[in-house]
Amino acid sequence: MIFPEIEPGDIPPDPVAPDSLLGVTRLQTNPSLWLGGRWKEFVAELRSSGVTVHEGLADRSAFVSDAGGLAHGMPHGTVRPSSASDVSKVLKAAQRFRVPVTTRGGGLTTEGESVAFGGLMLDMTSMNRVLEIDPVAMTVRTEAGIFWHMLAEVLRRDGFDYLSAPLNLTASVGGTLGVGGIDINSPRLGCSADQAVSLQVVTPTGGIVRCSETENQELMERVLFGYGQFGVITEATLKIRRFTPIIMQYYYYSSLRTAIEDMQLINREDAADYSGILTMMDRAINLLVAFDSDERATEFKRRWAGKLRGHGEFAFGLRLAGYYLLRPWKFREAVYIVGRRLTLFPEFQRSEFMRGGKIVDRTVVFSRAVWKFWGGRKMVIPDIAAKEEKFVEAVERGNAVCRKYFRYYTLYCVGIKLKWRLPRYEMSCIPSDAEGMGYGCEFEPMLRDTEFSRDYLQSFKNEIYDIGVDMGLSYYRFGGMMKGYIRRVFGDELVDRHLAMKKKADPAMILNPDVIF
Amino acid sequence: MINDDNKDLKGYEACSGCGVCLLPCPVWRRTQSMTFSRKGRAKAMQWGTPVEELAPYIDSCLLCGACEPVCPEDISLLGINIRQRRLLNLSRMKQPAWYPNELGTTYDYSPEIMSAKTLLLAGRPIKQHADICNAMIRLLGGSGSATVATDDGADISDALEAGLFVQSERILQFVAGLAKADTLVAAEGLMHRPLKKWLPEKKIMGLGEALLANSSIRLSIRPEDLYIIESRGYHSDHERLVVFYDKLRRETGCSTNLDLQRMAIPTGASSLQGRHDLESAGCLMQARWILHGRKPKRIIVEDFADIEVFRLVTDTPVIHLSMFGIEDDI
Repeated sequence: MIFPEIEPGDIPPDPVAPDSLLGVTRLQTNPSLWLGGRWKEFVAELRSSGVTVHEGLADRSAFVSDAGGLAHGMPHGTVRPSSASDVSKVLKAAQRFRVPVTTRGGGLTTEGESVAFGGLMLDMTSMNRVLEIDPVAMTVRTEAGIFWHMLAEVLRRDGFDYLSAPLNLTASVGGTLGVGGIDINSPRLGCSADQAVSLQVVTPTGGIVRCSETENQELMERVLFGYGQFGVITEATLKIRRFTPIIMQYYYYSSLRTAIEDMQLINREDAADYSGILTMMDRAINLLVAFDSDERATEFKRRWAGKLRGHGEFAFGLRLAGYYLLRPWKFREAVYIVGRRLTLFPEFQRSEFMRGGKIVDRTVVFSRAVWKFWGGRKMVIPDIAAKEEKFVEAVERGNAVCRKYFRYYTLYCVGIKLKWRLPRYEMSCIPSDAEGMGYGCEFEPMLRDTEFSRDYLQSFKNEIYDIGVDMGLSYYRFGGMMKGYIRRVFGDELVDRHLAMKKKADPAMILNPDVIF
Repeated sequence: MINDDNKDLKGYEACSGCGVCLLPCPVWRRTQSMTFSRKGRAKAMQWGTPVEELAPYIDSCLLCGACEPVCPEDISLLGINIRQRRLLNLSRMKQPAWYPNELGTTYDYSPEIMSAKTLLLAGRPIKQHADICNAMIRLLGGSGSATVATDDGADISDALEAGLFVQSERILQFVAGLAKADTLVAAEGLMHRPLKKWLPEKKIMGLGEALLANSSIRLSIRPEDLYIIESRGYHSDHERLVVFYDKLRRETGCSTNLDLQRMAIPTGASSLQGRHDLESAGCLMQARWILHGRKPKRIIVEDFADIEVFRLVTDTPVIHLSMFGIEDDI
C-alpha cells in the first residue's frame, strides 16, 4: 500500500474514507469503559437491601444508545427505583464500591450523556407518579422520572397544563430540569428548570434532601442545569396553569437575519405568547408566533403584525418560485422544499388536534412532527446559545457550516427568558454575557437517506462548536462526546471550581461520569 | 402460515428509540419496565438479543395496537410481535397459561355461505347473548339485510393473537362463508386487518362504527357519557377512525378514552391474557386510569368484555352500545 505524504500541520484526505478527516482536528471525547471491578459486591449489597438489579441482556441492551444513536455502551446492570430510598441505596453502595451510575429518563441526549459505558443504569422512568395537584398554589408535585406527556395527561384531566417543556413527548421531568428545557414559550416563561418550585434530590452520597429557593438553595442551584452531576432529582414541584389551546400564525422569510430580528422584536416587546423559527435550510424560513387567547392574537395583529417583514405563505411561495425559476440548477432543492411543505404542514393542522382553528395539545403536534420529519436512528444536533446581540452572526456562521456539510438541514431558533442571573446559569446553556434574554439555535442536518461517517458528522459538530469558542457563546449540548469543548468555552477557572464542587459532593466521582468532567 | 402484518411497514431495525410507543402502552404502564416497551425490545433486538430472552416481554403484549399509529418510523409493531410469538412457539416447550387451550383446533362454525348483505362477526362473548345479537341485527338494518355470521373466525383470531399456526384450508373456508356479503361488522378488532387483506373488496368495520351509523344511537349519547372505543379495531385504521370519533365527540359532547395522542386507552379485556385473568393482565388498572379524574354518568362500551372490567372498578352504569337497541330509555 502506498501512503500519501503528509506535510506537517496538514490533514490529508483519508485513503479509506475520503470524508473521514475533513475539517478541523477531532475533538470527540470517547468515554472510558468501566470494566466491572467490585460489581458483584455492589450487586450483592443492593440485593441485600431489597433493591433489584437486572443483569439480563434484554434489560441492559434496551439502553445501549441514546437518541443521537452515535454513542453505544452497555451497563453491567439496571435498576428501576420505586422510591428516593432505592436511589439512595444505589448511590451509597456505588460510592462504597466505586461503581459508576448513569441516570436516564427519556434518553433523549444526542452525545451519549445518558449512555452507560459500564456500571449501573438507573432507569428513572419507573418513578412516574403524579403525587399532588395543588389548584390553589397552582403547582404539581410529581416523581421526576415521569415523561412530560404523562404529566400532561394527568394535568389535563383537571383542566391544567404545565408551563413549559421540551417539544418532545418522551423527555422526562428530571432530565429536563437537569439541562434546562426549552419550549416555544420560553421567550416568555423561561426554561423548564425555572418553573421548578422545589425538588427532592438524592445527593451523590445518598442523602435525601429537599431543596428550593429558600431551603438548601445551594443544592437547588447546583442540581438545576447541573447535567446530573450533583444529585438525582427524584421529585419536583412545578408551576402549572390552566390549559388553553393556542392560536398559531406563520410568517415566511428568505433571510435568516430578517427573521431573527423580527423574532427578537416580538420577544423584546412581549408581543406573542410563543415564538420560534424553523427553517428549510436558509431558503424557507418560518417564524411562528402563537397566542393563548384571542385577545393577545388580536392585539398582535393590531400592533405588531404590520411591523414584521415576513410574508404570508402564498406571497412567499411566489417569491420562492421566482427565485428557483432563475436558478434552474437548484431544481433539486426546490423539489425538496415543495415536498417538505406538502408533507410537513398538514401535520400541524390535523383535524383531531384542532378546535375552532386553535391547536390543542401543541406538544403532541410538535413532537409528532419532530420525530416524523427530523428523527432517525442517527441524529446530530449541534447548537449554540448566545446573547441577543451576538445571535444573528452566530446563526449565520452556523448556517454557512451547514451549507458546507449538508444538502438539507433545519435550523431551530428560540429565545429564552432569563430569571435575572441565577447561580444555576453558571456553566450551563445560558450564555454568561446574556441579560434578560438568551437565544439558542440548533443546527440539524437531515441524515435520513444518506450515510455519513462518524468523523464527517464530528467535523461538522466541531465547526459549529468552534463558532461558540470564537464568539464566546455557550451550548445546550456540551456534555458527553462534546465535553472536549467545556474548558475551551467556559475556561479553566470556572470548570475547576465546578470540578472541586463535584469532587466534594461526589467523592468517588460515580454519578454520571464522563458527561461533564 | 397466514400473514397478518402489514408488509408496507418497517421492521425493528428502523427504530430510532424515540419512545413515543411506550406512552400509550398498557404493559409499560403496568410494569414500568423499559424492556417491556416496544422501544426497549427494538433496542435489545438491534443489539442482537435473541428472541428467547425476550419471551416474557413478547408474551406480555396485549396487542391493543396503540403503539403502531404513533410510531414515526412506521414500524410494523403488531406484526413483529405476532411473528415473534410464532418464533417462540417453534422453540419453546411450554406455552403461557393464557394461550388457547387446544392449539390449532377449530371452534363451532358452519361452512354455509351466508347471503345477507351485512354480516355480524359477533365473537364468542356476544354470541352467547341472543337478545344482544338480535338487537344488533335490528340496529344494523333488520334481519332482511343483516345476520349474525355462524362462523365468525374466533378461532382464527385467537390463533393469530397467540402466534399459532392456522391451516390455509381453514382460512379459505372462513372467507368463503363471507363471500356474498358487502359489509362485515367484526366485533374483534384484531380481525379487521386480516379481513381487509383477505377480502379487499368488502367494507370492514367495527361494532362501534357500524352501530353509530344509526342516528338514534348517536342521539342517545350525551355529554356526560364516557364512550369507550374498542382499541384494536380503532388502531388498525387509525388515520380514518380518529376523524370519525372526533366527529362523534363534537356532535355528542361525550368524552372518550382517547389520550392526548388520540390513541384509545385500552383495558385489554378482550386480549387472551385479559380473558385469562383481568387483574394480572392489568385490565382493572387500565380501567381505573381511564376513569381517573372523570365522573361520567354512564360508561358506554363498544367491546363487550369491557362491561365486566368497568363494573369491577366503578359503580357508574356501564352499557354496551347495542343495548340502545334493547331498552328505549337507558
